[in-house]
Amino acid sequence: MSGITRRHFLTTTAGTGLAGILATGVPPVLGQQREVSYLCWNNFAPLMDKKLAEIGQRFTKDTGIKLKIDHIAAAQQAAKYASEVQSQAGHDLVEMRMHFPWLYDSQLIDLGDLVADLEKKYGKVLSSAGETARVRGTWRAVPQYHAMFVATYREDLFKKASLKIPDTWEDLYTAGKELKKMGHPVGIPISQNYDSISTAGPVLWSSGGQEVDKDGKTVRINSPQTAQMIEWYKKMFRDCMEPEVLSWDDASNNQAIQQGKAGWIHNPVSAYIVAKQMKLPTADTINHHRTPGGPAGRHETDVPRHIGIWKFSKNAEPAKEFIRYLLGKRETYDEFIMSADAFNLPVYEKLQDHPVLKTDPKYAGLKAEGVQYHCYGWPAPPSDKVQLITNSFIMPNMIAKAVTGTSTKDAMVWAENEMKKIMAG
Amino acid sequence: MAIGGIRVAAPASRPSLRAKVGELLDREQWLGSIFVSPALVLLLLLVAYPFCMALYFSVSNAFIGRPSHFIGVRNFINLWESDAFRQTFQNAFVFCGAAVGAKLVLGVSLALLLNQQLWFKRLIRGAVLLPWVIPTALSTLGWTWMFNSLYSVVNWTGLALGIMDPPGPNWLGQKYYAMAAVIIVNIWRGLPFFAITILAGLVAIPKELYEAAEADGAGPFSRFWYVTLPLLKGVLAIVVLFSTIFTFSEFNIVFVLTHGGPINSTHLFATLARQVGLETGRIGEGAAISLYLFPVLMLVVWAQLRFVRKQAY
Repeated sequence: MSGITRRHFLTTTAGTGLAGILATGVPPVLGQQREVSYLCWNNFAPLMDKKLAEIGQRFTKDTGIKLKIDHIAAAQQAAKYASEVQSQAGHDLVEMRMHFPWLYDSQLIDLGDLVADLEKKYGKVLSSAGETARVRGTWRAVPQYHAMFVATYREDLFKKASLKIPDTWEDLYTAGKELKKMGHPVGIPISQNYDSISTAGPVLWSSGGQEVDKDGKTVRINSPQTAQMIEWYKKMFRDCMEPEVLSWDDASNNQAIQQGKAGWIHNPVSAYIVAKQMKLPTADTINHHRTPGGPAGRHETDVPRHIGIWKFSKNAEPAKEFIRYLLGKRETYDEFIMSADAFNLPVYEKLQDHPVLKTDPKYAGLKAEGVQYHCYGWPAPPSDKVQLITNSFIMPNMIAKAVTGTSTKDAMVWAENEMKKIMAG
Repeated sequence: MAIGGIRVAAPASRPSLRAKVGELLDREQWLGSIFVSPALVLLLLLVAYPFCMALYFSVSNAFIGRPSHFIGVRNFINLWESDAFRQTFQNAFVFCGAAVGAKLVLGVSLALLLNQQLWFKRLIRGAVLLPWVIPTALSTLGWTWMFNSLYSVVNWTGLALGIMDPPGPNWLGQKYYAMAAVIIVNIWRGLPFFAITILAGLVAIPKELYEAAEADGAGPFSRFWYVTLPLLKGVLAIVVLFSTIFTFSEFNIVFVLTHGGPINSTHLFATLARQVGLETGRIGEGAAISLYLFPVLMLVVWAQLRFVRKQAY
């Protein structure tokens, strides 16, 4: 009987094992270093990035899973994500702003189980986050926090001129006329930037208008409600603002109020937070109130941010484990939220009265009673066509045309044509 | 060697591998190919492959991460129906024409100046290159502040000198001013390339020609017109060719300074392509925007290279 020699046995088993590793591309469990990578934006609240790194280190210590966090500027996210998807390689976890899950839905794994756990603990996800992270019934990302656009105003100037805190956009016009006379105009950008859309949206929604119907197909911009919104912008531009708003970028309104020029802007609380951190004299004079409303209610532009996991990730399970670690434990989630100093707030219903809002009396105005949060393009679902309408800045350009001489009707017809071409494309 | 009394010659030894390789390398066609192949591989990987991908994307309905289908030239036709694209098309020609024209005139003037005997000549020549050396995005951020509606140093200076009426032009908020602003920054950035290249051409012109022209009574203008300019034609054609291509494909200046606004009045092909292709994920349309001018630019390149060859032979 020919026995198996020790040399033959070792050669055969080693060869088979190596072939298996090479074929599957997965090392044996004993040799596996569990590791996940996370591509995250450069947070407008930098302390939150620091806190994320700190939590990441604790996660590695507690679970043995190595976490690598990379940061990228918000403006570069779309290009970076496109290259990762095209090459089917890159990070495991990705931070996703607003509608991103809709753009990359076929590339993201279903995270419904994680969201269900979080909703059990913290209550339902806010509507704006749900509308953007849940794509056609599937949770393609887990909502983590949101920043909404509120009114930031110079409390000292309002008191000095005995002005009423604006409850409606018409109230703002009344106050704005006085502010401009005082040399502190209202600062609402009307230019090719996202802050312009963030204000134009609530003005349009509160007068009952919309860009595209909730069916996601029918263009509704040419309407009496839009005309009403444009007329409001015209008188605001003429009586309450300076022409410089036509050239503003996303930072300009913040700078205008921080440097003491603007009397009222519409922005997340970052303008105040930066003024406070930099110890600017205006920090003491700035306060917040809710976005004004109109005949169709009070609406606010919201910027929810989610975490998704690419389908091409080979580390989906440890990646999920990190999301659970960051958001699933109340004390860790609280710690994370607190680090943003009210710039990024919890995105779950039961956490709306969060302790972070009590850390500064000037955050009292940020409580969410009676507000409807929406993302760009609402009520249409955030499809790529609706995103192209947003990214083409059609609404601010329509307003810019109207305030610089084009008739309201012509500006609306122009916007309608541009939107219809996109929807037909 | 003797076998059975018969002498047999030993077999000739085969040439070694080293000798064979040496022989191959002695042949020009082999050696040339070997030297060229790394560059060829790089060109294929970094230029030809992305270019072919872009060509395919432009005739497909490609969307990031989704399967795509061939749709012919539909992207190119649909684009022409978009007001933003037509505006971009017009902007590109205005921007390129004005910027390249100004850079040419100013570049020749600056080169003539730098060709003179100046104090600190080397220092000045080095300093002229600075705008070309600084990363564009960074220098354009500086210009953003200079044109900023709140802190414009340009307006402050203009008002202080009494040549502007308060509050001064809204540089980035009105379409003609915004276009002027991006053109000014492009000229500032591209001028050193023109000046230094033309200067190299000027230095190569034999002094004897000027001396002969001067002896014939030619003044400064005649010397420039009949000696300098004809001998610079080749250099100018190359510089204009490169600059036309770079200026048509400009991205950084517009992206940082105006983001394509106001009302799309400064959008160029590259910035619009990014907006549509990357921010929205419609890479098929984005690629079509990028490649829209490709045939025109090919024609320009062909015509200019033909002109240069004529000048050379």
